[in-house]
Formats: sequence, C-alpha cells, structure tokens
Amino acid sequence: MNRLPSFEDELIALLPRLRRFAHSLSRSPADADDLTQATVERAIRASGQWTPGTRLDSWLYRIMRNLWIDTARSRVRKQAFEAPPDEASGVGDRGGIEESMELARIMAAMQRLPDEQREVVSLILIEGFGYREAAELLDLPIGTVSSRLVRGRTALLEMVGER
Amino acid sequence: MSADEKFFAWLDGELEGDEAAEMTARVASDPELAAIADRHRAMQARLNTAFDKVAAAPIPEPIRAAASPVVDLGARRDRARRAIPALPQWAMIAATLVLGLFVGTQLPRNRDSPVQVRSGALYAAADLDRALDTQLASAPSAGSIRIGLTFRNSDGTVCRTFTGSAATGLACRDDGRWRVRGLFEAGEGQSGDYRMAAGMDPNLAALVGSTMTGEPMDAAQERAARERGWR
Repeated sequence: MNRLPSFEDELIALLPRLRRFAHSLSRSPADADDLTQATVERAIRASGQWTPGTRLDSWLYRIMRNLWIDTARSRVRKQAFEAPPDEASGVGDRGGIEESMELARIMAAMQRLPDEQREVVSLILIEGFGYREAAELLDLPIGTVSSRLVRGRTALLEMVGER
Repeated sequence: MSADEKFFAWLDGELEGDEAAEMTARVASDPELAAIADRHRAMQARLNTAFDKVAAAPIPEPIRAAASPVVDLGARRDRARRAIPALPQWAMIAATLVLGLFVGTQLPRNRDSPVQVRSGALYAAADLDRALDTQLASAPSAGSIRIGLTFRNSDGTVCRTFTGSAATGLACRDDGRWRVRGLFEAGEGQSGDYRMAAGMDPNLAALVGSTMTGEPMDAAQERAARERGWR
C-alpha cells in the first residue's frame, strides 16, 4: 500500500527534470508538455514494472525517450509535407518559459541535430548523465555514445554560434 | 577512442588519472585547443541556463494531476462527501438498479439525481451528465465524479466509466445523451481510495472488458473526442 504513494512522491519530484528533458528533445514547448504528460501517464500505468531501489530517474527518462522515438517516427512522415520548424515556433504566451528567445533559439538548433545525436547531447550536456549512465539508458555501447556526442556538440556549436 | 573523443571526454570529466593529467597538460600548452575547450564550455553553460529555466518553471496543472491520481482521488472523494448531502439516495438508487428492479419503474423525480429513466432506458443526469460531457480523465476537475476510461465499443460508440461517492458505472453515447449501461454500488469498506484508484470494481471491469474494442483513449484522443461532441 505504501509503495505507490512513494513512487508518486518521487515521480512528482522528478517532474521538473522530465520536463526539461522533454524540451530538449521536442520541437516546441507544447510538444514537450504533451510528451511529459504522456510519459507520466505511462509511468503511472507501468509503475508495477519499476523495481524499488533502482533509479527511478533513469527508468522515467527511458520511458520518455521511447515515447519520443515513437512520436518522432510518425512526425517524420508528417513533416515531409510541412514547412520545417522556424526559430520562432513555440514562442507564445505560455507562462514565461516560451518568452525566452534564447531557449527558442537553442531548441530550434537542437531540432536540427539528428535524433541519435540530440538524445546524447541532451542526456549528457543538459541532463548531466555520465557517459556510462547514458549508454545504459540508451542501450548503446559507450563508444557509440561518445562519438555521437562529439558530432552532436560540434554541430550544435556551429549552429548556435558564439555570443 | 579518437583524439576528439578523448579531448571531449576530458572536458566532461570522464577521463581519470594519467589520461586526464596528460590531456590537461596538452590543453594548457596548446592555445588553439584551449580556445576550443572554452567555446564548448560556454555553449554548455548557455544550454544549462536556457533549459534550467524550464526546470525552474511551475509544472502545468494537467501534468501534475496526471502524476498524482491517488492523492487527487482521495481529496476529491473527501470533497464529494462534504458536497453531496443527498448521497444516501443515490446509494439507494444504485442498489436498486443493481438488483435489476428499475425496468418499468418510475424513479422519484429529483433534479439532483444522477440518473433518469426515459422510455425504459437509464440516462445520466445532473452532475453525472455534466461530468461525462465535460470532464477529462487527464485533467480531473474538482467535481464529485471521477471519469476513468474512455473508449469505443464495437459500434464505434464512445463509452466512459465513472465513479462517484456511492457508485461506479459505464455510460455510452446514445442519440446525443449518455445512456447508463451498468451501475454498481461502491460499498463502504470494499472500495477504499487506494483500491478505487488502483483497480476498477470487478463487475465494472468485466462489463468494460466485454464492451471495449481496441485500446482506451489516451489524453489527446480523449480531448479530441470531447471536441467532436463524443461522436
């Protein structure tokens, strides 16, 4: 009886980080919040599959990443018929976050990275996971993570430029 | 590990011992490499500044609500107990219906009654009708009724499960109204907050199982169905 509430307490404490991760993966703040909500809903439904004592953050990030991959696939098909996202997309009146042009600019640059580089840049540079933790989360060899990180961060630096 | 990978692993604090010391010395003696390190450190600082604003912002209510269905349910049930003085009547009606005695009988006229009999069929009314029409499971409101699953039956008709203080049931669209397809009494003691959140009443679960086609709607599908007037 006590396990579920404590799972939820931990889940609630992790919401800010999950939301940050979603923003680094998604093309707009609205997509990011949809992804966060879908992740939370799936996590609640699957809470019995989480092993208490293991890292809940990694488990949740993995759920979010898999959902994002699924939606990204369907989005690719859709985007073939749409204009690419412009830098202003996602800037709107949604409570402060979106008013940050800097965030919109960085999110747009992240969007131009291939998915497999973006998730590595996000987990390691933004979310602060170590190489090994990120490799385990993504089920990849550590060398693959390391080389994707080099390509992703180099491309990102060229896009966002110096300030 | 390529030279680039080694350099960035050093930058990220992933190298140890001699390897780390070696790279530190190399960067110190190579202004070009030092400049690259600085540019990447500056970029990471920008990333962190921008995205940390997201983490520092308040969590939107639908996300918070999705994360705590049990806590919310408990709070709502407490509110429901305070808000519905006519609760024993609904409990009585529900019990009557479960016994199958409603066919052909006239329920007492009461504008607060959550169900109405019309032409021998049972329809949602008052709060229950409103909750079925407007509430989203993904964005629960403060009302006394909680919406559970929304799904389509084999005809493609939208059905929704609901739980009030005294009863739980299933309603499906029927000619622009919510026709109650099953109503089960939620007896005290066998339906604590935790159990109601963790699992559905077994009678209702069996009814849903025999009615539902495919998967229950997710939050986006539920919202879209509401926008289409549950058609």
